[in-house]
Amino acid sequence: MQALDSETASTIDLQAPAVPTADTRGKHRILAELKRLEQETRFLEEELEELEKTDKVSAACEELLTNIETRPDPLLPVTNGPTNPSWDRWFEGPQDSKGCRCWIL
Amino acid sequence: MSVAELKERHIAATATVNALRERLKQKRTLLLDTDGSSSCYSHFAGYARSQGRTPVSFGPTDLVCCRILQGHTGKVYSLDWTPEKNRIVSASQDGRLIVWNALTSQKTHAIKLPCAWVMTCAFSPNGQSVACGGLDSVCSIFNLNSPVDKDGNLPVSRMLSGHKGYVSSCQYVPDEDTHLITSSGDQTCVLWDVTTGQRLSVFGGEFPSGHTADVLSVSINGSNSKMFVSGSCDATARLWDTRIASRAVRTFHGHEGDVNTVKFFPDGQRFGTGSGDGTCRLFDMRTGHQLQVYHQQHAAADGEVPHVTSIAFSISGRLLFAAYSNNDCYVWDTLVAKVVLNLRSLQNSHEGRITCLGLSADGSALCTGSWDKNLKIWAFGGDRREI
Repeated sequence: MQALDSETASTIDLQAPAVPTADTRGKHRILAELKRLEQETRFLEEELEELEKTDKVSAACEELLTNIETRPDPLLPVTNGPTNPSWDRWFEGPQDSKGCRCWIL
Repeated sequence: MSVAELKERHIAATATVNALRERLKQKRTLLLDTDGSSSCYSHFAGYARSQGRTPVSFGPTDLVCCRILQGHTGKVYSLDWTPEKNRIVSASQDGRLIVWNALTSQKTHAIKLPCAWVMTCAFSPNGQSVACGGLDSVCSIFNLNSPVDKDGNLPVSRMLSGHKGYVSSCQYVPDEDTHLITSSGDQTCVLWDVTTGQRLSVFGGEFPSGHTADVLSVSINGSNSKMFVSGSCDATARLWDTRIASRAVRTFHGHEGDVNTVKFFPDGQRFGTGSGDGTCRLFDMRTGHQLQVYHQQHAAADGEVPHVTSIAFSISGRLLFAAYSNNDCYVWDTLVAKVVLNLRSLQNSHEGRITCLGLSADGSALCTGSWDKNLKIWAFGGDRREI
């Protein structure tokens, strides 16, 4: 929008008959932008209508909480099972000499 | 119609759009019934706390840096894991991609790029190809099994040309080695057929509901690969259906700065964003609700708000890893919206900004890439309790 405002301003400055091409180009740009805004208005109105039928946030929150807590997570100190021994492969076997060695025995 | 009259109509139309946006915002606020007393930024956290949830508690040696991947001679900008197990591809300011076996720390490929200004890289689902893109506006594909050329370089097997701006991010469509999505400084995202090099769909551009500024990030839904989300300098995230290029499914407002990074939540129903406004947010894909804002003051020497460079979720979604421009890397408990750890404070932490983050396919390791030229692997080395 800001870019267009500066473009529009410069178009008005050039509104002398001596430079008709700049004037037409400016018109086309504003028309294209107008079309875009009208399209966006329609999309926003659709979205408002959709929102009438949308669940309250608590439904999404409830589902989210369940999804998070039921999934086993190797990076959590306390996690739902089943755990998998391969999660600890990062602490097994020979390490590269530049690797960090501070694993818990 | 004169330019002046058109300008009038433009002003009126802008006012209509702004009024509608305001109405939408207010309507969404009315749908926030989770906790009447909480601020409008605490929806999910308010709900979780009302259900008695408390923050994850990490001991000082629980999350451990267990590998340091050294080899790049410039800042690391991007990384991606293979969908199976242990390999990572990374992209650096040194103009190279390196393919690593993260478990052994060995480099299996070092690919010199035709254009050194790389910004993003990705592994194909079958692990046999890597893709990268950057300031050359092209996405280049390398087949890792190709014979090298006479100079010892891996040849480009396909160039995806067509963007009119830099390629900021790329990701293969899960389980489809032939399809890839890119985001670009030209304000569009593109779905490509890698075998033919053709653009199958362009999202945005001349169509009205596209982004209105550079697109910086894409993330494809792991549970439904027809859906992807993009983040842009226009401060919005947009949800797209690859079958419908003509309009975005939904636009998500809320951020007050560039949306630098987007990542789908593991359950495929939500996604996270990270922004130049210093916050991360969690949005619900189907309803469009902004479920939570993750914001905490950093110790900022110069008073500037550090921006979020990259995010990743742990495999359950309980943890949100967020890297910031001031070298912090917060580990958020997404349930209660509290920072439970800062990777910067751990032993062997990076010496510079973390630019990219990624979880291994099984969620057992986090890889971080940094301006300090290294990648580091982090895993849980403490006592794990199974419930």
